[in-house]
Amino acid sequence: MRGIDLEVKTGEVFGLLGPNGAGKTTTLEILEGIRPRTSGSVSVLGLDPAAQSKEIKDRIGVCLQATNLPDKMKVHEALDLFAAFYSKNADRDQLLKRLQLWDKKDALYKTLSGGQKQRVALALSLVNDPSLLFLDEPTTGLDPQVRLEIHTVIQELKKDKRSILITTHYIEEAERLCDRVAIVDAGKIIELGTPREIQSRVLGLTQVEVTTRLALPLDTLPEKIRDEKHSSSNEGRTLTVQSSTPATLIMELVRWIDQLGFELVDIHMKRPTLEDVFIELTGKRLREG
Amino acid sequence: MKPYIAQISSNLRLMGRDRSVLFFSTLFPLVFFFTFAQAFRAGSSPGAMSQVFASVMIIGVLGSGFFGAGIRTVLDRETNILRRFKVAPIGPGPIIVASMVSGWVAYMPTVCLFLIFGKFIYHAPLPANLFSLFIFITIGLLAFRAMGMIIASVVNSQQEATVLIQLLYLPMLFLSGATFPLEMLPDWVKTVANFLPATYLYLGMKSILVGGESAFSKPNLWAGLALITAMAVALFVGIKLFRWEKEEKIGGKAKLWILVVLAPFVLSGFYQAHSKQSIGREKQLNRQSSRQRSVLFNNVNIFVGNGEIIQHGAVLIKNGKISQVFRQPPLDTASLNAEVEDESGKTLMPGLIDMHVHIGAPGGVFKNPQDYANPHAQMRRLAAYLYSGITTVRSTGDLLEGALEVRKNSQSDDNTVAQFYTCGPLFTASGGHPEELLENFPEFMRKMAKEQFMRQPKSAGEARTQVDALKLAGVDCVKGVLEAGNESWGKFNRLDPQIYRAVMDEATKQGLPTATHTGSAADVKLAIDAGSNSIEHGSTVDLIPDEAFAAMKARGIFYDPTLSVFEAYSDLAQGKTQILDRPLLQQVGPLDLINNTKSVFSKPPKELNVARANSLFEIPVQNLLHAYQSGVTLITGSDAGNPMVIHGPTVQHEVELWVDAKIPKAVALQAATYNAAKALHQETRIGLIKEGMDATFLLLDGDPLQDITATEHINAVFLRGEHIDRSDLFDQFKK
Repeated sequence: MRGIDLEVKTGEVFGLLGPNGAGKTTTLEILEGIRPRTSGSVSVLGLDPAAQSKEIKDRIGVCLQATNLPDKMKVHEALDLFAAFYSKNADRDQLLKRLQLWDKKDALYKTLSGGQKQRVALALSLVNDPSLLFLDEPTTGLDPQVRLEIHTVIQELKKDKRSILITTHYIEEAERLCDRVAIVDAGKIIELGTPREIQSRVLGLTQVEVTTRLALPLDTLPEKIRDEKHSSSNEGRTLTVQSSTPATLIMELVRWIDQLGFELVDIHMKRPTLEDVFIELTGKRLREG
Repeated sequence: MKPYIAQISSNLRLMGRDRSVLFFSTLFPLVFFFTFAQAFRAGSSPGAMSQVFASVMIIGVLGSGFFGAGIRTVLDRETNILRRFKVAPIGPGPIIVASMVSGWVAYMPTVCLFLIFGKFIYHAPLPANLFSLFIFITIGLLAFRAMGMIIASVVNSQQEATVLIQLLYLPMLFLSGATFPLEMLPDWVKTVANFLPATYLYLGMKSILVGGESAFSKPNLWAGLALITAMAVALFVGIKLFRWEKEEKIGGKAKLWILVVLAPFVLSGFYQAHSKQSIGREKQLNRQSSRQRSVLFNNVNIFVGNGEIIQHGAVLIKNGKISQVFRQPPLDTASLNAEVEDESGKTLMPGLIDMHVHIGAPGGVFKNPQDYANPHAQMRRLAAYLYSGITTVRSTGDLLEGALEVRKNSQSDDNTVAQFYTCGPLFTASGGHPEELLENFPEFMRKMAKEQFMRQPKSAGEARTQVDALKLAGVDCVKGVLEAGNESWGKFNRLDPQIYRAVMDEATKQGLPTATHTGSAADVKLAIDAGSNSIEHGSTVDLIPDEAFAAMKARGIFYDPTLSVFEAYSDLAQGKTQILDRPLLQQVGPLDLINNTKSVFSKPPKELNVARANSLFEIPVQNLLHAYQSGVTLITGSDAGNPMVIHGPTVQHEVELWVDAKIPKAVALQAATYNAAKALHQETRIGLIKEGMDATFLLLDGDPLQDITATEHINAVFLRGEHIDRSDLFDQFKK
């Protein structure tokens, strides 16, 4: 890590977004008290993870990537075992029901599906009713269906008054789950804010695109539209305009085309994604392939 | 505490569900158990059963430590299970401690199963020191689980763990004594064994199971201490080096920590390699184990020892004692839980006893004078006796300290030799027999030899003081010498009767059996009068009168004619050495002594007086016959150590001489067994084939009551239940 400066507020879901090897997991491990830091200051729940790792571990919940449990351990046994390690315990029956594991509480770990295993991992991270939850790539390696299942669970967890720190390299996940996001690359935070803020700060504007049957006479473009950044393509039949006020722009564009008597074939509005932001900021894609 | 308990109970639950754990910690050792038990015929032998218990328990402990703890932990790390525990607020402590404790809890039922199966299937009694056994297994198991954990802590992958564990596991399995007795293994392996923790565990278990030792006996305390130290170091280092994730690698140097953990055994190994204590200990335990066999000698003729004969009976031995004597072969041998050996055509009789030897003298002439100084010579002589079926000898005149040392060594399980009793020095007059023999010693040794070999009290008071001192030193008997000598032999000062009486009286007061060398009928009379318990030699110059034998019979005084030595002197006077050609004597050797003695003595002296030479033997023969006819209780002695009476099959030759002299065979054999045991005050232990006596006896091919030379056809020798491996006896004292 080259220097990461961030603060996670109580009750928010904070995402650390970045490609593999960006330093997301390392950041998390320093915060969780399982990896020493070389410099800087860290405060987790008002404690120093390096000096008070045990206290911190007792109060946080952690869901690491790719952990396992013994094949022959039953779901409820895993919860009971880990509960014994903490000074404070959540209601485990409640937890199992909430994570839709109630039916599976007597099932052996090895008989669980991937999604169920991940839900068990989430349940274990909540067994001490933590006020701060670390989820390290909670959906990596899961198929899309299961990923959605986990998203639902995390959204459900958002309702509690606890802070959640998620690392992910899935844009949708960050956009969907996080209140704020930090984009990390090569050990540095390169952007920080709500997903919307970041998008607009980096690319600013929403694109509106109209397509007609005939080439549009750009010289008749109304003053208001002409001032915005615009371009045409598709032999002049498609016009793309960027604006900070897309709603007004759309009304202007429709009115102009209507006046021209042209037939409007298509209109759509495109908001920039975090993926675009990331490509814009780093020149590389988040996921390989 | 809560995390520890939770982790332990979780481990136990998982072990209970894991079939491979069940296989390795219970079924696998049980398979070994039944295999070993069958192979060692454990059903009929508590000793063999103890060996089986020790072996399978070690195999279980090794498996639990290396595979149950070591490999399991590595696997948990490799499959990202430990990773999950890393973020919990616990250190490695609960993981390691729980692994040790749950391994212990899981293994104990297996130990109980061994004992239960042992008891109900193989009729093995529960070990006497059950508590010690459990303590020692517990220490061993925890130490080996900790060692398994340290291995897990210093390897980076399962492959590395497997290699390292095999490197430790296989030597400990095969070279610790657990699977092959150490005794069987070559010397370099014995040395290696001293460095293996498993050897200490094994010897400890075996000492508890076989030897009935406590877990707190000195060697076990040391072994336990080494195991606990290794466990403490392994725990400490294991916690320090513990890694939760396979991605965390550790340097190759970390493997040196294993050596640190094994340090107590490395140190002890060097000490043991030097002292050879543990090897000796294993040998002792194997002997003890061999004594614990239960054997039925079936269809055997029994010479009981007291004159009684049982044709076609059976003898059952258990735990080194005669447990039952059957007048007919038992119908249901299976219920006896013993190995059954058919001994048709053989005779079982008490081990022979030579009541008159001088263990310090070779009985011949060495070619190389250095052989006289061989420190093992006396022990080798005792081995020669045992080889020859003479299971007990009494020394009637030897260097005190040397004889006591020999007795001490003969009682140690390090040595397999005949049982030895000694009178120590003999009481004689100044200038009396056998002071003349001191000239055979090199001059610088004569003073020492005189002090050690003789007591020459100048007054009755001094005599008593000297007897008391000998009693304190620990002699088994007191020997007096009454010998005035004769024309052909020379004249000696005879011990003053008053002083002699004091010696006999004081010895009797001290509870010591007494024996008196006599040279004439007058000496015999004095000895009887003074209350000597036995008359040694009788007389070579005159016939002992009726009233003397009548008095002996009345007072229960034993008569030990020692015909062998007189025959030897008679032959010597004629240059005859055929008595050295007997096959059994040739077997026990030492051959160079026999051959050199033959070449030295085979030339007849210049003035050959055949008549006088013959009388040297004939008068004692007459006296023996007279004693027998008078009903005197006879005992056998050879006076071995004198020229041409070489230590070995002495009693056989003595009884043969008696039989030649028309003494009935049964009388001669009783003299060599029961009577001799009585004279030694050992008749409650040896000399009889009777329930409760030591299983110290011979199996002879043939029937000595038909042909007395059958006593030389020894099929087997048993000493306190131990079947003596006669072929190995002389290897003990090679160096």
